[in-house]
Amino acid sequence: MDKKISVKVCLGTTCFVMGSSNLQELIDTVPAKYGDKVDVVGVPCLGLCSIDWEFSKAPYVKVDDDVIKEATVDKVLKAIDEKLANKK
Amino acid sequence: MFIDIDCSQMKKYNQNAYGDYFVSKRLPDEERLIAVLSDGLGSGIKANILSCMTATMLLKFIEGSQIPINKAAEIIMNSLPICQVRKISYSTFSAIDCDDEGDAKIVEEGNPDFIWIRNNEIMTPEFETIQSKTFKNRKLKVYKIKLELEDRLIFCSDGVTQCGLGSETLKLGLRREGLITILKDILARNPKISSSELSRYIINQVKNIETDRLPKDDVSACVLYFREPRESLIFTGPPYHQEKDKEYAQIFDKFKGKKAIAGGTTANLISRELNKPITMDKTISIGKLPSCSYMDGVDLVTEGILTLTKTLEYLENETFDIDNAAGKLVEFLMNSDCINFMVGAKLNQAHYDPALPIEIEIRKNIIKKMATILEDKYFKKVSVQYM
Repeated sequence: MDKKISVKVCLGTTCFVMGSSNLQELIDTVPAKYGDKVDVVGVPCLGLCSIDWEFSKAPYVKVDDDVIKEATVDKVLKAIDEKLANKK
Repeated sequence: MFIDIDCSQMKKYNQNAYGDYFVSKRLPDEERLIAVLSDGLGSGIKANILSCMTATMLLKFIEGSQIPINKAAEIIMNSLPICQVRKISYSTFSAIDCDDEGDAKIVEEGNPDFIWIRNNEIMTPEFETIQSKTFKNRKLKVYKIKLELEDRLIFCSDGVTQCGLGSETLKLGLRREGLITILKDILARNPKISSSELSRYIINQVKNIETDRLPKDDVSACVLYFREPRESLIFTGPPYHQEKDKEYAQIFDKFKGKKAIAGGTTANLISRELNKPITMDKTISIGKLPSCSYMDGVDLVTEGILTLTKTLEYLENETFDIDNAAGKLVEFLMNSDCINFMVGAKLNQAHYDPALPIEIEIRKNIIKKMATILEDKYFKKVSVQYM
């Protein structure tokens, strides 16, 4: 069986106020759409806002090892689709 | 020993000010606690002023330690004016000065006698009576007692002992005996009940006894509970010097009491140093706060600044039982007696980006405010260590 795609939504302070509170819906919608191919979790902090010198790129989401800056639900879903397509 | 103290009050119905006044002060350096309960004559604003003046002045007198508590109380007793209408003293009071060793001095003038409970039995301490030189009807009772672990003291205004007065079932009111029955009953059922819960319980019982549940007098119940302190530690913010992460994480790990982490980066740091994985609550947080996370051996893991800010707001407004991360932190704090904060001084520059939609406070400031409110309003012992 293929390894699951891992999606980590940063729920640290910066990301949360910059919009990741709305990204939490992924925790429900993604399993509904992709079943058990994708695993979505919230994480306390990805630690990206303090090292990314452009700062205002929050919220961050990690899809496997790829970082999505200024993440939106659409961007994350697109990244998941691309990952799944590559696997085929 | 830790002295768990709290006081609950209720106004006389139709009044908009409390006629009883409670004030207390912890002197951490001397491991000492002073508390005063005063009942002002009449009710409403007038009583409020009288009791407030008596209580705060007595506290100031005792606090300075320049004169012993019995002398301070005697001076006040002799100088309280007489009400022109009722020809009785302006206010009555009870005061206690006790330390962590259990040595307590208590003075009472006019208030119902305090109740001392040990092993669910009522103790009958000896006292000395000091007769007022200026007023024949004023007498001061002075007690010197030695308290032990698990002892409780209950002070109340006559609004408690006289509640239900004239009703069908309690023609003479609840009286001391009735209050003792209530106390013994609840303590048999819940021997570890906290002072805030017990004082609230007394007030609610009084309310239920009163005809139409309307208090006919101001009602106050002050409870002291001598027990082993419940220690807790809150680790928030990464240390300024990163090379010290391990050292501080070890201190956190070795702490014996309850533990909480407030901060995503902080949680990651502890997780990394102690090699303990974090899992986040799967439930989607509703509202404005991120959910809690879980880590083995840690009682509570929350996000940092937003949660702390909200917690402070809840503490200020006395908002309890909220089902979110801040509500859980409030509960954590309320269930602790000695609260230790380990506050990392490292700043996350991203928090100061003006593009961020809300004001994000500096961690040190929030903790400073929180420490003050926990000490002044909730009578906790607080220590803050910056790292």
